[in-house]
Amino acid sequence: MLRLQNVVKTYGGKSAVTALAGIDLTVTGGEMVAIMGPSGSGKSTLLNLLGGLDVPTSGSILVAGTDLADKGEKERSMFRRTTISYIFQAYHLMPTLKVSQNVALPLHLAGESSAEVSRRVAQALKDVGLEGRSSHLPDELSGGERQRVAIARALVTGAPLLLADEPTGNLDTARGEEILNLLRAIHRERGTTIAMVTHDHHAASACDRLIRLRDGRVEGDGPVAGGGR
Amino acid sequence: MNFLLRTLSLSYVRRHLMKTMLTLLGVVVGVATFSAIRSAQGTLVKGIRSTVDRVAGKAHLQITMAGGVPEEVQEKVRALPGIRAISPVIEQIVVPERGELGSLMVIGIDLLGDREMREYGFEGEDADLDDPLLFLAQPDSAIFTRDFAQRAGLKTGDTLPVRVPTGVRRVAARGLLSPKGFAEAFGGNLMVVDVYAAQELFGRGRRFDRIDVRLAEGTTVAQGTATLAKALGPAYRVETPDRRGKQMEQTVNNFVAGFNITSGFALSIGTFLIFNAFNVAVNRRRRDIGTLRALGATPRQVQSLFLMEALVIGLIGGAVGCLAGGAIAEGFLKMMGQTTDTIYGVTSSGGSVRFPPGIILESVLLGIVASLIGAWNPALAASRISPTEAFAKGAFQAKIAANQAPRIAAGVVALDCAILMALFPPYAGNPLILSIMALGGVGMVLLVGPLSRLILRLLAPLLMGLSPVAGRLCSDALLGAPRRTSGTVMAMAFSLTFVFGLGGYMGSMTATMVKWMDDVLTSDLYVRASANWSRPDFLFPGTLRQELLKVPGVRAVESVRTIRPFYQGHQIVISSFEVGPVMKRIKYEYFSGNEQSIVQGVGRQGMCFVSENFCGRFNLGVGQSVELMTPTGPVRFPIAAVVRDYGSDQGAIYMDRNTYLRHWQDDRVDIFDVSVAAGADVGQVRNLMRAKLAGKMPALISTRQEFIAEIKKAIDAFHALTRVTVFLALVVAFLGIVTSLLISVAERTREIGVLKALGAIPSQIVRSVVVEALVISLVAVIVAIPAGNLFAAFMEGAVARFYTGWSMPHEYPWEIMAQLLVTLPFVSTLAACIPARQAARLKITEAIEYE
Ligand SMILES: Nc1ncnc2c1ncn2[C@@H]1O[C@H](COP(=O)(O)OP(=O)(O)O)[C@@H](O)[C@H]1O
Ligand SMILES: [Mg+2]
Repeated sequence: MLRLQNVVKTYGGKSAVTALAGIDLTVTGGEMVAIMGPSGSGKSTLLNLLGGLDVPTSGSILVAGTDLADKGEKERSMFRRTTISYIFQAYHLMPTLKVSQNVALPLHLAGESSAEVSRRVAQALKDVGLEGRSSHLPDELSGGERQRVAIARALVTGAPLLLADEPTGNLDTARGEEILNLLRAIHRERGTTIAMVTHDHHAASACDRLIRLRDGRVEGDGPVAGGGR
Repeated sequence: MNFLLRTLSLSYVRRHLMKTMLTLLGVVVGVATFSAIRSAQGTLVKGIRSTVDRVAGKAHLQITMAGGVPEEVQEKVRALPGIRAISPVIEQIVVPERGELGSLMVIGIDLLGDREMREYGFEGEDADLDDPLLFLAQPDSAIFTRDFAQRAGLKTGDTLPVRVPTGVRRVAARGLLSPKGFAEAFGGNLMVVDVYAAQELFGRGRRFDRIDVRLAEGTTVAQGTATLAKALGPAYRVETPDRRGKQMEQTVNNFVAGFNITSGFALSIGTFLIFNAFNVAVNRRRRDIGTLRALGATPRQVQSLFLMEALVIGLIGGAVGCLAGGAIAEGFLKMMGQTTDTIYGVTSSGGSVRFPPGIILESVLLGIVASLIGAWNPALAASRISPTEAFAKGAFQAKIAANQAPRIAAGVVALDCAILMALFPPYAGNPLILSIMALGGVGMVLLVGPLSRLILRLLAPLLMGLSPVAGRLCSDALLGAPRRTSGTVMAMAFSLTFVFGLGGYMGSMTATMVKWMDDVLTSDLYVRASANWSRPDFLFPGTLRQELLKVPGVRAVESVRTIRPFYQGHQIVISSFEVGPVMKRIKYEYFSGNEQSIVQGVGRQGMCFVSENFCGRFNLGVGQSVELMTPTGPVRFPIAAVVRDYGSDQGAIYMDRNTYLRHWQDDRVDIFDVSVAAGADVGQVRNLMRAKLAGKMPALISTRQEFIAEIKKAIDAFHALTRVTVFLALVVAFLGIVTSLLISVAERTREIGVLKALGAIPSQIVRSVVVEALVISLVAVIVAIPAGNLFAAFMEGAVARFYTGWSMPHEYPWEIMAQLLVTLPFVSTLAACIPARQAARLKITEAIEYE
């Protein structure tokens, strides 16, 4: 599913920051991987590269057989529509759109027909248990509910790869647990490959595999102790 | 895309209604000004034509001559072959005592013969005006249109008080016309009187304004024109009503076209405000854009989203602008109409503004185009936002190129080219003016950014000295966002450059003319026959001079007569007076020749002297002569001198009164220049004169100061459009600051939140936003002062020379400067209100969460 070879990412001009200093990594389809590391170790940068939001300074990134490193903005955008979905720590919902409209957004971007859109949106909202909330604005929801809307938005396209950047970072333990269960269920039922950045050992233990980053390098990689519950 | 527009954009609009309205306002102001000016121009010009056409009736040709057509020409024309009918006409605008009825166009015709020329649809029970002789027997007889009579509440037999040059006269309605053809001219505000009564009433002497000619069946217009021209000689103009209308239209064209600058300016304001507003929106919606991109939106989709929004705004703003334009068009029409009437003596119909679909379409389209142009760059910038950047912490700032040297060099070169072209014109006319303006504009666009940053950097220590917290906040905000800052400064600097430039031009033109008038208008009293400057509503008989000389306290009286004939297609001025006595009291500035050559050559030898612009326009000078068509045939007048003179923007020729009398054989007078005897009281002399003229002649008697003040008023009317532009410039300044500060506050949301968390109180935040507004205007003023001076010099030089042939010494626009220095701080502070309030009201938690 994912294959990274000697990926380097540096930022800025004069005082360049090396966010990733040569990453080699392979993730097979259907895995659920946790990425941990101290703040500033390059976790978000890695996730951004995996999702094609950015391109590496050097090295190659194969996602579902496509090398994203040499693709232009447009190709990467089109690629994201079908293959990748995101969940962010700060939800990143459109504050002015209703829940259902937020969930429908990626489908509309991809040009789906409106009948198909409403069918899939209803299904996705049901999957995350928010059927009754479809016409609310994000402001009117709790943090946990907002993150579930974000998950519904990620589910709705049926993308095989889900990237989550600290999805439970803004939530209390109980809400976080709900979200983890949801992701776990998606992974199990749909076989979605999930890469999740987290600070939380408990969250990491929900995954099959744990990758540790430090200073832009892979410090450790292996199965989670007692993982795969 | 449609979905995005319907949901995302619409909901954004709903949430930021105020800002959307501001954005819309930009387009509305632009389109409203454009459409109002366009429709007023159209109505004015069409009105001129339609009045000429309608009044012409079935006339094929019209005979005119500068100064009027003598009565005896009638007989001469009647005897020619191929003429079916002729009819003498006098036209005059008068105002009823009840001003709300609007001006009336008086048409003096020969009722007995005129039915061959115009159709009179009389109505009412005593219709048909059976006995024209009865009509003629009573000198107060008039015919009105039914429409006007209804508005005025007149029935047949009723009288209406009307102001004529000699005072108020009551005229009696003897018949009413049904509204068709001729009766629809001048919006139906017509008053038909006997042509001989009109001669009397309007001091026409034994002359008509024109003779209308209807040709016999089988005679072509070309044949008729040839026959008439041959019989009458070159002093007479024989032309179709259509041509005559066109000619009148031509006369006001320059003035009317000047308004196009104002409409162009208004539209560019709209564009700029859209640009600014979209910059705000793109900044504010950065994170949403990032999210969209993460969800698979392509850069092009993001760009189209913003462009579609611009399209919708352009469409709505265009439509609303058209409505608003319709509301203010009447005002523009009035302003233009008054000026064309008083300065050019050309009257349009009194009708109201027409708003043809063509103009509506054009305006809405321009609104859309302006909006799209304004949104183009921000939309492009939005499409280039990379998702990772959008999510990155810390305020985003577009970078500017590190090396500004090439940009500055290019700007200096462009500006230098503009200056060189203005000084040494490689070609002439409109292309030259446009090239200079384009080069100057490019130069400014390139230079304002670097210049404003330099000034800000110099100002920063001063600001911090004044107020450590607010000063630092504001200079950080301004210097930290160079693109936004220079965008705003640029727009304001452009507006202020317009203000200084046009204001300086206006000021220098007025000052120059006032100085000239001081030198030339040196009599104590001016007795005028007509209030209109270029279309005599009345002329004094020449013999009145003797009467005036008899008034106690009068030392000398000189007679001035001015006619406005066409010379090589331009309507010039020929003015005559007693050169000998007049040259004793007035001082000209000479370009060639001298006082002696005028006293000798013009006073005694029948030569003429000409204005500087006449000399330039027709390439004639001392040693050459001007050939003029006089009623006694073509005559060559040698030029004795060239002087500085602002008598006409097309050129002026001056000659001695005797020369004029000899060749034109018309002794009537426009103005008597009266000098009082030493020790006599000017006010008393005036009263004596008024008493003498009362009831017989118009007595517009002004002292020297009053006379100069009245001319100044006419010059001011000419500058009406400049004032509109100045006002629009202030609107730009205001809206520009508002939008710019809104971006500034939006970009610094987190910073402001942190400051508040650290204990900054709302008033400190407000102060920093207000100071920011003031600094922006200050920098714009500093940039605009030299630029405005250059622009004024350009207007006074190249532009004035092209349109009028006048050269005007540069005057510094102190007055406008002072006005702006008072109003701008107010405007800026006012503009800072909305953004400041927004900043002060930011909730700390939201502000920090924002990132
Ligand atoms: N857009 C950016 N520009 C410059 N530096 C960046 C940018 N994004 C991240 N960095 C730097 O790259 C390093 C890795 O950042 P990040 O991937 O966000 O770490 P993490 O998510 O592990 O906290 C940090 O030093 C950060 O400052
Ligand atoms: Mg991170």
